[in-house]
Formats: sequence, structure tokens, C-alpha cells
Amino acid sequence: MTREWWKHLILILGALIVIAPFYTMVSYSFKSPGEIDRGAGGVFGRQEIMVDERCVKLHDPNRDEIAAAAARFPGLDDDAIRRALIREAEADCSMRPVVFNYTQAFTQAPLLRYLMNGVIVTASIFAIQVIVALPAAYALAKLRFWGREAVFGLVLFCLLIPVHAVALPLYIGLAKLGLTNTYAALVIPWTISVFGIFLMRQFFMTVPDDLIDAARMDGMSELAIVWRVMLPTAIPALLAFAIFSVVAHWNDYFWPRIVVTGNRDLFIPPLGLREFKGGADGSMFGPMMASATVIVTPLIVAFLLAQRRFIEGITLSGMK
Amino acid sequence: MAVLDTPWPPANIATEAYKRQRRTAWMLAGPALVLMVVILLVPVGIAAILSVTNYSLGNPGFDWVGFDNYEKLLTRSSYEKMFTATFTYVLTVVPISVGLGLGAALLINSLTRFRDLYKTIYFLPVMATLIAMAIAWEFMLHPTIGAVNQTLAKGCGTWVQSLWPWLARHCTEGMPLWLGDKRYAIWAVCFVGIWQGFGFNMVLYLAGLTSVHRELYHAAEIDGARSGWERFRLVTWPALGPTTVFVVTISSIRAFQVFDTIEAFYPIGAGPGKSAYVMMFAIYEKGVEQNLIGIGSAITMLFLGFVLMITMIQRWLVERKVHYG
Repeated sequence: MTREWWKHLILILGALIVIAPFYTMVSYSFKSPGEIDRGAGGVFGRQEIMVDERCVKLHDPNRDEIAAAAARFPGLDDDAIRRALIREAEADCSMRPVVFNYTQAFTQAPLLRYLMNGVIVTASIFAIQVIVALPAAYALAKLRFWGREAVFGLVLFCLLIPVHAVALPLYIGLAKLGLTNTYAALVIPWTISVFGIFLMRQFFMTVPDDLIDAARMDGMSELAIVWRVMLPTAIPALLAFAIFSVVAHWNDYFWPRIVVTGNRDLFIPPLGLREFKGGADGSMFGPMMASATVIVTPLIVAFLLAQRRFIEGITLSGMK
Repeated sequence: MAVLDTPWPPANIATEAYKRQRRTAWMLAGPALVLMVVILLVPVGIAAILSVTNYSLGNPGFDWVGFDNYEKLLTRSSYEKMFTATFTYVLTVVPISVGLGLGAALLINSLTRFRDLYKTIYFLPVMATLIAMAIAWEFMLHPTIGAVNQTLAKGCGTWVQSLWPWLARHCTEGMPLWLGDKRYAIWAVCFVGIWQGFGFNMVLYLAGLTSVHRELYHAAEIDGARSGWERFRLVTWPALGPTTVFVVTISSIRAFQVFDTIEAFYPIGAGPGKSAYVMMFAIYEKGVEQNLIGIGSAITMLFLGFVLMITMIQRWLVERKVHYG
């Protein structure tokens, strides 16, 4: 330990810088606008009851409301009723900053909808990738057919093409088909995971032929072998691939930004966050960081629960 | 050996079975094959063709313009800014994130305690949604209420100021604007790229380090490599050769793809004086926002060219056998 202290010192300094933006994000999501402006309030803010000015303004009583409330305040003139109503509105609009930030995050924009879209899109992408890649990987690993080498060569070649390079032509194609601003547009470019085919093929190569021959003896079709024999043996590899795929697409911003324009119903979390930012005035820093926290948290929690698997999954591409 | 040399399938007996298997195989691989062609190969071809046209979405036709688009890329000043920003980013982020990844891996690997804790913390940015974290960094770099300037301001009027002329200057002139300042904008973007990427490299290096044989260190010590630096130079670094090639390749390709940070910091215009106008942003701005698909495609082709070049260099290095472990 004595000789290690300086290493710990360096690593702790590094860790502080790494954690700093996470700290800022979570801390801001707890603070009132005033505390954010002044840089006060420590980690979680003082959580003093605050009044949401926007909410009060929204409840500013008009003439009709004052007239309607006259019965409740007997003996007061209009001005006094008005003041009483504003006091009531202020009481209704008072809350702790943390409650304010998180309720604003979910009400200013349909954050729940965005999260659901995120789940739908990432889940469909992964499901389709598996449905397409697994049979192909099985054929490439275990079936002998003329042209197999050529197909595998094509897979290796396609590994070189980054999706960013086909984004623009795919966007044009989808626009021509009138498919922009649909779920399909968000999913289509990712339906083929060349990397998934490659990975599963390498894995299937290690599965003993005897297992497959036995299944054939039992009269199973090749397609049934893929799903009922190969899939169960591939669960660990598939899990790693799932993490790789889900993390990439939950966080992806470039492609959704291109194909989803304006239609909020299709926004996935990163797009929602951007729009929140675009419309943010000074007082909305808290709610914005609350949204960011909500969006970042699921993956971080999953990562902390299953670190080894996540690191394995994300660095999969390092095993080529 | 004669048995192994017989062609497969063995004559007649299995021909029918072989044919059936061939049909099944094409059926199983078919969907993947079609998607590969439709989603990857054809679009690359289309981008190549469009890059020599002046096509726009919504126009009925287009003209062939030859290499005009490419010529524009190489001569106009706004594209000069694009190349400057892109290469500044790549040439800053790749060496530093690889170096920090290696440094962190070496430090962590030599520890006896808390190894997993550091590994977990340093890997967090890799997992986190980049655009959310970029916004958090934007707050931290805020000129007045940001944590960075507030921390720096604490150094004003203390001994730190006398050791650090840069800080002393800003203590009198006012703290930098960071994202709003032409001189700092691209470096702030680079910083976030490094912050996000080095943990990934660290994990790959940690995996690489486990495969370095202990005996090699003993052998080096017998040969007179006493200091830690000598052992690193003679054993660790060469043994990590393949990891380094891979880490540099993947970091470079990712660096060419940077987009989220710039969009988060600068929704329009790619930074003060277009100082953070990287290629992906240019593709998006020209091809999608301004509907200048010819130019967008030409940038796309250049991007693909860079990526392929990096991969070719990687293949070449791997074939030269960079590993001694």
C-alpha cells in the first residue's frame, strides 16, 4: 500500500474528472433554479419549498374567476379576492425543487412516450438482428454449400462499411418510399448486423457436429435446429451481443436525428433531450438534467448490476 | 490421408442430401444476404454515383457534374474548416485516449486493491448516452455558473496563479467562455471525446495485459532490464502490439464519426467560426438539412475512404505480425 499511494492519487483524480458530469447532472436535477444560478446548495440542494412562477402565471385569475370566487370570500372587494386567489395559486404551485424538476421533465415533454419509443426501437432492432443473423450464421458455420466462401467473404467485406457511410443514401431511399418519420425508418438500417453474423458464426463453429447430427436423426428440420438446438447453446454469446446492440441503439443519436424530423410521437430519448435543450430557457436547467438523468439511468444501473457482462458485450468488437 | 482427400460429398450416395442442404443453406442465409446487399452494398454504390451529380430530393432529375463536388471540397474555405476540425479532432482524441487508456490500464493492473472499482468508474462514460453527457459538460463549461470556471476562479489570488501564467491572465481578463470561444471550442469537443472514449481503450488494454507472460518479465530482468520503464519498453509494449493496433484503429474510426457532441453544443453552425465543423456534421448539414445531396455524398465517400484506409493500415500491420507475446 505504501508504494501504491501515488497510483491511487492519480487514479482518484482521474475518477473525479470522469464522474464530474454525472455529478453535475444528478445534482442539478435536485436543485432549484436559484441554487443552480448561484452555484449554491451543495449536492442535493437545500430542498426549500419553491414557487413555480410559470404555474402561478398560468393560474392568474381573470375577471370571470374573480367573480366566481366572490361567494367564497364574502365582504372582500375584487382586488382583495384577486390577491387571495393568487395566494391560493402560489400555494398550489409550491413544491420541493426535486419534485418540480422531475414532474417538469415528464410533463413539459412526453418523456414517458420517448422512453417507450426507445424500448420499442431497441427491442425490435435486437429481435430482427437475431432473426436474420442466426440462421445465416448457422448456414455459414455448419452447412456445406457451393458459394459459402463467397458469402462469408461478403460478410467480411461488409464489416468494413460503417453505417455512417450509408446513412445519406439510406435516408434518400426511405424518403423516396415515404418512410421517414416512421418506426420502420428507425429500425431498418440496423436490421442487418454483419458483426452479429460474424460473431455467431465464430461461436457456432465451436458447437460439435454430433449435436446437430443427433438433431437431424430425430427428424428436426434445419430451421428447427437453428432455434431449438443452436440458439440455446449460444445464449452467452447472444447475451453479450444483446448488450452490444441495446447500448448502441439506446444511445444512438445520428440516425434518429436524420430520419425523425418534428414528429414528437416518434422521438427516442436522445432526440427528446435535444428538443428539451432547444426550447430551454434559463429556469429549465433543473428539469432538463432530470430528463437526462432518467434517460441515462437505466443503462448505468444495468451496467452496475452486471459489469462483467457489459464490459464483455461492449468490447465484443475487440475480440475479432 | 486418402479418406480426407475424397471430395465432399462422396459420390452419388449423398448427392440428394447435399442438394437439399444447399437449398436450405441458401434459404437460411438468404434474408441476411439480401439485407446486406440492399442496406450496405447498394447504398455505397448509390452514394458513389450521387457524389458526381447535383441531385436534390424532390427534383425530378439531375445533372452529371463530374468531380465538381470533390473539387469544391478541396478548394472552398468552409470545407477547409471541415478538414481542419476533423483532423484536429482525430489527431487529438486518438493519441490521448489511447495513451490514457494504456496508462490507466497499467496503473490499475499494478494495483492490489480497488482494481474493479476504478475499472467500473472509468467505464461509465462509455455506457452513458453521449448527448446527455455532452449537455452536462456544457453546463460544467458554462462561463459563469459552470463548475470548471468556478474551480479555476478559486485559484485566483493564490500561489497557483503565480505558477500558472495562463490562469493569472484569465484571473485579470475574466475566465474563458470555452464553448463560445473560437480558440477553445474544438478543444472542448475533443476533451469530451477523450473523456468518453478512454475507458473503452483501458478495458481492451487490461484484457491485453492478462495475456502478457510472467516469464517474459523474469527473462527481461535476467537480461538486465531493472527499471520499470525498461520492462515496459522491452516486454509490455511489444506484447501489447496487437491490442494497440486494434485500439488505435477503432478509436480512429469512431473519432471520424463524431457528431453527438457537436450537435449538443452547437445545434446550428458547428461552433464559433465553424471551428467544430466535423465531417459527420457536414454530411448532416449539407445532405439532410440543405438537401445538397451531391456534396453530402461526396463527403460521405471521403469519409468511407478514410475509414477504409485506416482498416487497410490495420490489416497491413496485423499481417506484419505486430505480436511477439
